[in-house]
Amino acid sequence: MLPEATIPFRVDQGRVLPGFLDARDVPWLRILIEEIDRFRGRPVRELRQRLREPLPCATPHFKRRAAVAALLRLWRSEPEALVPPEKARECLFCARAGSASRKEALDAAAATLGVDAAGLERSLFADLPGERLVRAPDVIPSPPEVALRANQLIARSLLFHARRVRIKAEGAVRPLVRQAKLRGLLCSVTQSGQPVLELSGPFSVFRHTLLYGRALGELVGFLPQCARFELRADCVLRGEEAILDLQTGDPIFPAEAVKPYDSKLEERFARDLRKAAPDWDLLREPEPVPVAGTIIFPDFLLRHRLRPEMSFLVEIMGFWSADYVTRKLDLLCRANIANLVLCLDETRNCDAGDLPMAARVVRFRRRIDPMAVLDAAGVSRGGAP
Amino acid sequence: MRLVFDRGTIVLLDANQPVAPPAETQDFPGALWDARIAALRCPARFHPALVAELRHRGVQFTDEVSGIGPALPRSLPAVALRPYQEAALAAWEFSGRRGTAVLPTGSGKTHLAIAAIAGSAVPALCLVPTRVLLDQWARTIEDVLHVPAGRLGDGDRRVERITVATFESGWRHMHHLGNQFGLLVVDEAHHFGAGLRDEALDMCTAPLRLGLTATKPRGPAGLRLDELLGPTVYELRIDELVGEYLAPFDTIVLHLDLTPAERDEYDALTAIFRDVVARFRRFHPNATWDEFAKIAGRTEAGRRAIAAWHRCRRITAFPSAKRQVVGALLKRHRTARTIVFVADNPTAYAISREHLVMPLTCDIGRKEREKALSLFREGKLRALVSAQVLNEGLDVPDADVGIVVAGSKGEREHVQRVGRVLRPRTGKRALVFELVVRGTNEIKQARKRRDALAA
Repeated sequence: MLPEATIPFRVDQGRVLPGFLDARDVPWLRILIEEIDRFRGRPVRELRQRLREPLPCATPHFKRRAAVAALLRLWRSEPEALVPPEKARECLFCARAGSASRKEALDAAAATLGVDAAGLERSLFADLPGERLVRAPDVIPSPPEVALRANQLIARSLLFHARRVRIKAEGAVRPLVRQAKLRGLLCSVTQSGQPVLELSGPFSVFRHTLLYGRALGELVGFLPQCARFELRADCVLRGEEAILDLQTGDPIFPAEAVKPYDSKLEERFARDLRKAAPDWDLLREPEPVPVAGTIIFPDFLLRHRLRPEMSFLVEIMGFWSADYVTRKLDLLCRANIANLVLCLDETRNCDAGDLPMAARVVRFRRRIDPMAVLDAAGVSRGGAP
Repeated sequence: MRLVFDRGTIVLLDANQPVAPPAETQDFPGALWDARIAALRCPARFHPALVAELRHRGVQFTDEVSGIGPALPRSLPAVALRPYQEAALAAWEFSGRRGTAVLPTGSGKTHLAIAAIAGSAVPALCLVPTRVLLDQWARTIEDVLHVPAGRLGDGDRRVERITVATFESGWRHMHHLGNQFGLLVVDEAHHFGAGLRDEALDMCTAPLRLGLTATKPRGPAGLRLDELLGPTVYELRIDELVGEYLAPFDTIVLHLDLTPAERDEYDALTAIFRDVVARFRRFHPNATWDEFAKIAGRTEAGRRAIAAWHRCRRITAFPSAKRQVVGALLKRHRTARTIVFVADNPTAYAISREHLVMPLTCDIGRKEREKALSLFREGKLRALVSAQVLNEGLDVPDADVGIVVAGSKGEREHVQRVGRVLRPRTGKRALVFELVVRGTNEIKQARKRRDALAA
């Protein structure tokens, strides 16, 4: 996150106007990328020192800081040493304790390690963050791509100061809800047309907290999965309340691959099912199911390709807290969905009495067996009931 | 009515599902109406007060908050304490087992905490500032009490009846661990009170709280710390322990000069900075440094001024004169165990390269740090150089000489640093060298540091 004092934005009549980078910033971004790339193979500290100095062209200060922060996530670093630095330090500094002079200690340690004194000195701190050598990414991002990455960082940093966020979304709402809950946010969903998510931290009635501010900021990364969204955040910036609006079309999403699944468990289940039961399709994002004042977002819809009337909602309850399991089961019991297959982590020790009456239950340990799911649904892999 | 723990808060659930706070729940300690769930909610630390208030008002309720596991075994070994540690423990117990003990560095605050844990016999969570201290605390607890200590932080996520967590991990996990402990111990408690991560202490229900520090903050931060941990229950200064429990020491201040080139640059940079500060002061006479930095960062001139100030700090942190004196002092005391304290990591590495002294910084991994301390203890390493890692809490082996090249955190840091060389030994008299550059801000800082040490 960018520190508040360095986020490019202004507040006008209670509205936050983020200073997003745009086409006008492309010329200096190109120079900045070239400048950073000049330091490949050189120590990180030299790059950082260079970035503290001005570029050969005029740059907007805060936008530049955002772009640098985004770029430094791409240009990584690696150590290069003749001998492992940790070993070099121990050998040399111990040698110094028993030697009369620096040179004597260096020669003795170099001889022990089988390198020359200069090589030993070069290796001494090669693993430290500032001494590691700059490594360029496989593909150098274009200036517009860097602008989008910087803009996303700006949006996240602004949301870091949010007390409460409302998201009106179309499609892929479930990952948002799931990620919000994983981060300990209070999440209520209302539906009149598009689902509307109200997200806030439990502490927000008292004050803004860094913990939940960060959680709200992290949700930006999941918004591109929605077909459309409108986000409104109540922020506290520079000590004043202000509203931040973000929506589909804002330049804050770089061309990154969207993760198709929320967890490795789900990904593996989908892969195994494709292999084991080729006639069955596993659809993500089925229609949400309304339940007394809220909505359930089942994980998958399992549907036979030739007989679409044969379909089952699949809910996976994996690595969650006991409290979450209790609440979720309560909700599912109230929903009493007839075609629900509930996959339950064995380690959760749920009693049969806690489970929804109508649910078909599959217990799993680390991996969900797709055949067990089809068996629980009462069908064979070919689709025969 | 039911009280439940919800992510670092206590929620008062009413079976009638009211749309506004019920009359009998008006003015509950710390509680506010949360319209999102139509219930009263308060930070978890108010749990004991809330329960007392409900009982006082005769409200029927079930308390489902506590997730505290079984008590500690009664057969825990007795913890041997020094007389002043016993006095501190008694003072804490008389204060309802809530409060902060202010004891000098090296006076055995960890042992005091372990005695408090053993005496309270309830599951305890100890918050420590760094990963190095996490391991040190966990090992000391296991050595003294012979029970497994959980670790949260530095890659570990094991919760036991006594668990040690770094501030960072405590802060991240308190929303789901906050109801599992009866006693909260906060080492180096002065890090709290100013807002940053205070919520970790707010999200914990532990009714018993012990803060440990050598330098409790004053003003609003001190008051906030009193709210979170309880008031100061016991306080000792370094000079009250010098002799029997801490080694006597001499402080030698060496006044040094900048070279002409360094002086010219320093003066030029200071002029840039002073000019901007003077203009700022005209409109904001009572502003703090943080407020100045925030506002200055918005203009080109302000940013130049801050950059000039940073450069000034770098010049005085390790000018040529300090470089020469450090070399001379290390040579002169090469048979003694010496710790060199500097302002920043680059200076630590510069000294390390030049004099082949082992650096202990945040960049050096845990295993290597432990190995270095062990070699220092055995006398195989004669000197260590550190910016901040050795400032606090770490159980540094016996050292005779401290060289304070520069600091970045003021008087509190200095008191902690001096404490590093005061581990007592028969016949020992520690030496602390302070290097101060004439005609710079360091003169004023050095005076404040000495005052803090004498206070």
